[in-house]
Parts: sequence; C-alpha cells; structure tokens
Amino acid sequence: MSAARDMLCDTASAVFTEAASVGIGPVEDAGFGLLLVPEADGGFGGDWGDVNAVLWIAGHSVPDLPVAALILSGLGDVDPALHAAATVSLMAGAMGQALTLSIDHVNTRQQFGRPLGKFQAVQQSLAVMACEVRAVEAAAAALAARLDATGGDALAAGFEIAAAKLRANRAVGVVTSVAHQVHGAIGFTEEYDLHRVTVPLMRWRGTHGNDAHWAQILGRQVAGFGGRGLWEAMTARDA
Amino acid sequence: MQGFALYPFDPPSDIAALRTDLRAWLAVNQLQGDLVARANCWVSFDAGFSRALGAAGYVGMTLPARYGGGDRHPLERYVVIEELLAAGAPVGAHWIADRQTGPLILRYGSEEQRERYLPGIAKGELYACIGLSEPGAGSDLAAVRTTARETAEGWRINGQKIWTTGAHFSHIMLALVRTEEGSERNAGLSQLLIDLATPGITIRPIIDMAGHHDFNEVFFDDVLVPHGALVGERGQGGQQVTAELGLERSGPERYLSSHALLVALIDAAGADPDPAVATLIGELTAEMWTLRQLSMSTAAKLAAGEDPMVEASVVKELGNAFEQDMPRRVQAIVTSGWDDPDDLAKLLRALLIASPSFSLRGGTREVIRGIIARGLGLR
Repeated sequence: MSAARDMLCDTASAVFTEAASVGIGPVEDAGFGLLLVPEADGGFGGDWGDVNAVLWIAGHSVPDLPVAALILSGLGDVDPALHAAATVSLMAGAMGQALTLSIDHVNTRQQFGRPLGKFQAVQQSLAVMACEVRAVEAAAAALAARLDATGGDALAAGFEIAAAKLRANRAVGVVTSVAHQVHGAIGFTEEYDLHRVTVPLMRWRGTHGNDAHWAQILGRQVAGFGGRGLWEAMTARDA
Repeated sequence: MQGFALYPFDPPSDIAALRTDLRAWLAVNQLQGDLVARANCWVSFDAGFSRALGAAGYVGMTLPARYGGGDRHPLERYVVIEELLAAGAPVGAHWIADRQTGPLILRYGSEEQRERYLPGIAKGELYACIGLSEPGAGSDLAAVRTTARETAEGWRINGQKIWTTGAHFSHIMLALVRTEEGSERNAGLSQLLIDLATPGITIRPIIDMAGHHDFNEVFFDDVLVPHGALVGERGQGGQQVTAELGLERSGPERYLSSHALLVALIDAAGADPDPAVATLIGELTAEMWTLRQLSMSTAAKLAAGEDPMVEASVVKELGNAFEQDMPRRVQAIVTSGWDDPDDLAKLLRALLIASPSFSLRGGTREVIRGIIARGLGLR
C-alpha cells in the first residue's frame, strides 16, 4: 500500500473514532466529500482503491454513518450502481469487524473449562465464516481496481459491480449467523457491539440491489457472452 | 490479513498475447471429442496432448532453461494453466509432474536428479505421482509406516501406498517414507524419488465410484533404489511435504476444473434465458469471479516468495464448495434427465458423481478448515 493511502487510512481511523460518538460532522469537516474530486478541482484526487480502504474502515467502525454517500456526493449526480460498489466496501469492513469480535470472544469466553475457540466445532464454523469474509474483501478490492481501470465508469465496470455486490450479499447470511452463534446470548444484547455491524449487514444486503436484482443483471449479461465467451470476456477485463 | 488489499497480479510479459497464442494453439491441437473428459480435466490422461503441449513450451514453464524449462515467470505459468483448464484441455498426464514434482526437484533435489528428471518433465513426457497416503495414514501423514533402510547398495523400501493418483501411468513416484528405524511422527520421515520400473514394485488399480481408474495401491517388496534417490534432507520429509501441499491448494484448478458445466449451462440457456436460469448463472458467475481474484492474489503472493498458507486454504475451501454446489444447483433447475444424451446431462451426471472427491483430495475439508482456524489464532 502506498504511503499516501497509509496516511489516508490513519486519518480516516482517527476521524471515524471521533465521529462514532458525535455523528458525521467530523467526517464532513475532514473533507471526505472531496476524496474522489480531482486535485485540479480542489479535491483530494483519490482513486477507488482509496475509497475502498476508507469505506472498509467505515464499515468496521461507523457503519451507521453515511460515509459512502458523503464520498460519492463529491462527484455530483452519479450512477446508482456506484452506490452499490461503495456498499461492497462497507460490507467487507463490517464483516471484518464481525470476525474480529467473534475471534476475540471465543478466545476469551470459557465453557467446560477451556476457551470456546479450543472446540473443533467452533473452529470449523469460524473458518467457514472467515472464508466468506475474505471472499468479500477480495471482491471489494478487485471491484475498486476495475473502477480505477475504467475511470470510475459504472457501465464499463458493470460486470464487476454486479458480481461483487451479489457475492457480498450472499456472504451476509453465513457471516451474521456464525458471528451470533459463537457469541451466544451476549451478542444478542443492546449493550454488546456485535449488532452494530450485523444489523447494517442485514440492511445493506437489500440496499442498492438485492440478490435477485444483481443476479438477473449479471446472468443476462453472461448469457449474452455465451458459454465460452464468459471466460474470454472475464480475462479481457483484467486491469 | 489486511482487509482491503489484494496482492497485485503483475506478470512481467504481455499476458494478452500469451492467452491469444495459447488459444490459437488449442484450437488446432485440442481434440474436442470426449466431452466428459473435459469436465474434471486435470485428471484426464492424454500423453499425446501432453507431449505436444511440452513441445510448444507450455510444460515446465518455470524450470530453468538449462534443464529444458522455459525460464518463465510463475504468473505466466498461472495464466497458461487457467487457460488450459477453462478450455477443458486433458492435462492429467503431466499435471502432477508439472505442478509439484518438477518444482520440488528443482528446490530440494540434487544436481544429478535435476539433470536426470527435469528435461523429461518439461517435454511433457515424464510423469510423476505422489506417494503420501497409506492404509493407516490419510489426513494424518505423520503416521506413515513405509520404511526405507539405508544399506551399502542403497535404500531398501518395504511397505504400501494407497490412493496414489496416476501411479499406473507414471514413471516416478515421490514418496514419503520412514528412513529412521524406531522414529515417531514427523521425525525420521524423508522423501525418496523412486523409479517405478524398479523390481519389487506392484501397482494395482482401484476403480472409483465413477468407474474410472485414477487411484492405485502401490506395494514395495524389498525394493532397492540408489542412495541418490533421497530428495532434500534426510529426516526433513515431513516439512518438505507440508510446503509442497501448500503449493497445490490455491491454483485455478480449485474453481475451474468443472468449468465445462457452466459453459454448457450458459449455452443451453441461450441469449434470452429464463429468469430462474439467469439468476443461477449470475450467482455462479459471481462466485467464480470472486474465486479467480482470490486465486490470482494468492498466486502472486507465492510468486513473490511469501507463504500464503491460510489464503491458499481459503481458495481450496471456497473452490471445493463452489464446484460441489454447482452441479447440484444446475440439476435442480434444468430439465435434463439422468440418462439424457445431451451435453448438459452428460456433464451433470459426471460431475455429480465426481464431486464428493473435490473436498477429499489435496487435504480434506476438515483439515483445511483447521488450517484456517489456526491462521485465525484459534486452537
């Protein structure tokens, strides 16, 4: 990762920590609405790789704040598909947080005289969950790379937006259910942090295109490529 | 694992040209005859195809030129492998020698072993099998009991291997054996490169539930191989094998080996598919596209000399689930019957029957999930 993106992530983490208690104000004041605006127009001149990194952190730490909408507002009236793209990054971050909370919990909580994480049944569940999280992280990063290769053109990146949002939607079920299962009752309380990421994940699954929406779009596009054409189209789109 | 970075897949040459050349070569050299052989194609044996592929420079690509290799970058080889699999090319004859045995001989082998075996591997003419499993040692490889005793003439091997894919057509076996008498577990295991024409070796077929002969039992009855058969360090075989298994988990074969079925589904659906079929095509495509990103990122990490053991296991776990799920979901939605003669029906039947093996070979699902759990800091 570049030094500039490292700095951006450090800034985002600090600003989001403050915003977690006071709302979106500090995020606006820090200029995140200018992240995608070119430097020539007085913006930060960031790319979609930057957006993915920032929204990953937002999904992780402030999933209820409209950070994605703020970043996209800098571009004016954008294709709604770009909101779907941004949501994938938020989902990757929120899933990462759900996994972190789950690992911490099973390594701490003891039953039958040992931490839950020592039980193979729990280990196997968390491994399944981690695979889903890693898949969504990969989808978000690959989508960002495609958006950067196409200059942020939602139409040119339509295949990747559909594939990534659909894949992220399909991961929500496993990720939220395993996270809650390994947490037991504490994870179902208002006080504990898990719902702060799992409820947004459930919401995002239906926002900016649910499974049926993107599966139809992608399925019809692929049908147009033809059987062998799918592979040729997919490899021709490598950044 | 950093949450928002893929390792950049950045081969040193013009990949588009490499793809174009290989596709043109396949259009001329790949027989289109046996459809079912094109599904699950990395176990399809065709020595003529392997030889032609080797002559065209697509086998042993990463081996040094002085051993007959192509001196190519690992990511160039990755591109060639994904093209071959996506086309359903019959790569089974040279598959293990090219993917595992060649690189392992280059890394751990003696100069004599490299000169002796690598040129044949790169030509697509010398085939290898892997002697790991035994009747009492499956997932638990440290339970290996086949022995090799060092004598004045060489190593004397006694014991049995089982589930050995391709032993019946292979020239050599890279076997994990116990070289230290009375040793336990991983201590005392070594790797030996065994010429399968050596007297005292008996190979018996095991027919699988699909009616195919891929597996074998291999018996060693006082088999004498030269001192020079030892690969790498005596007593380090367990560690060498673990590193080798890591290499075989994240390749494109983990999500592309049954690509022929997706191709047939799309072709059968036509340009204006029924909504339910379009949904299924969309969902399978989203999964495949994501797996490709994960596999490429892991390959790039391997090529950079890192050890992505956990990422590689994630690719295998997700890839196996995808390839087992696909035929079930296709069957649930198409009208093809079990014995119908159309392409889709034939592929479907073959892959439904083959699919239980996907999460067994190369590490069972349970072992793979255990590796991932350890990577998460559990256990």
